[in-house]
Amino acid sequence: MRKTTLGFASLALVLGAAPAWVGAADPNAATPDEVVTKVHEAVQYLNDKGLAGFSDFNNNKDARWVWKDSYVFVYSCRDNVMIAHPLRPDMVGKPILQMKDDKDHLLFQDMCKAGANKDGGWVEYWWPKPGEAKASRKISYVHSAEVSFKPDIQVGAGIYDDKLSVEELNKLATQAKQPKKDAP
Amino acid sequence: MAEQKLGNPAVVGLAGFGLTTLILQFHNVGWMPSIGPVVWLGLIFGGTAQLIAGLQEMKTGNNFGYCAFTSYGAFWIALALMLLGNKYDLFKAGTEDVGLFLVAWTLFTVILWIGSLRIHGAMAFTFTTLLIGFILLDLAHFGYPGLTVVAGYELMVCALAAWYMMARVILNEIYGREILPAGKPWVS
Repeated sequence: MRKTTLGFASLALVLGAAPAWVGAADPNAATPDEVVTKVHEAVQYLNDKGLAGFSDFNNNKDARWVWKDSYVFVYSCRDNVMIAHPLRPDMVGKPILQMKDDKDHLLFQDMCKAGANKDGGWVEYWWPKPGEAKASRKISYVHSAEVSFKPDIQVGAGIYDDKLSVEELNKLATQAKQPKKDAP
Repeated sequence: MAEQKLGNPAVVGLAGFGLTTLILQFHNVGWMPSIGPVVWLGLIFGGTAQLIAGLQEMKTGNNFGYCAFTSYGAFWIALALMLLGNKYDLFKAGTEDVGLFLVAWTLFTVILWIGSLRIHGAMAFTFTTLLIGFILLDLAHFGYPGLTVVAGYELMVCALAAWYMMARVILNEIYGREILPAGKPWVS
């Protein structure tokens, strides 16, 4: 009997210590890990395919860059333009730097700064979920991509979450970039 | 029978080289978001026209022009086809692959650059800026993408220098005097 109690207690402890997003995983919500993986995949894709790869991100049909409630978007800070956005074709080709979110925040100014870091970075802002009109708290991971004859391209994707902090997420993104080492 | 006056194929070669180089830099510095004009001009003017001009240089006995125009004409055709290939998933070339393509052209340019120093000042200047531009683009493909913009402005100077040489040949002939000088060779 005592053993069982102890078992439950330790189980509760483990569950309690686990990060919030593991505990309350909504199967239809993208996870930070997925976002980081997708952004890195997109960066590699553009590196391999060059300029010709941009339009593939606007093509929503094969859904490679759209999953659950998230999607990958591509933009240039220097050219001040949205290059690809699978869910908002109206934004493609439009300037981004003066764009404000629902809290009057210049979101792309922050993204451009975060994306300039070597390992990329997370940025918090307010943006509607796909299919919704009201803005939710969104945290996006942005990373620069090396493309022939096109400097200063950045790629981003985000999650909708009320709790996670940018600091926690930045740690995760840095870990994801570390080469995976085998056990010694 | 009077000997027929022949044109100088270099005027077309320099025109295509200069204009296509200029158009690529409009893209590189961000003035022209589309790569489209680079692809089409690369195939037609910088490519085909310059290549034909290069082949015609053979008959003038000018090995420098023969090699330079034919080769840079081929460069533009290859670059345009490489961009098209990427679009249609045909022998895709990634950023590093394009970088190595450019490194090979840089090495090739070094040889012509050495020759250019002994031709005249305008040629030496054009090839010096071309070589620097290639080196900047090489670096832009291997870790310093921001240098694409620096290369862009630098190669605009190169393109205009090529047009200066074109203008020299055409205008000096039409006006019947040396309006535009070539400048002394840098190496004698």
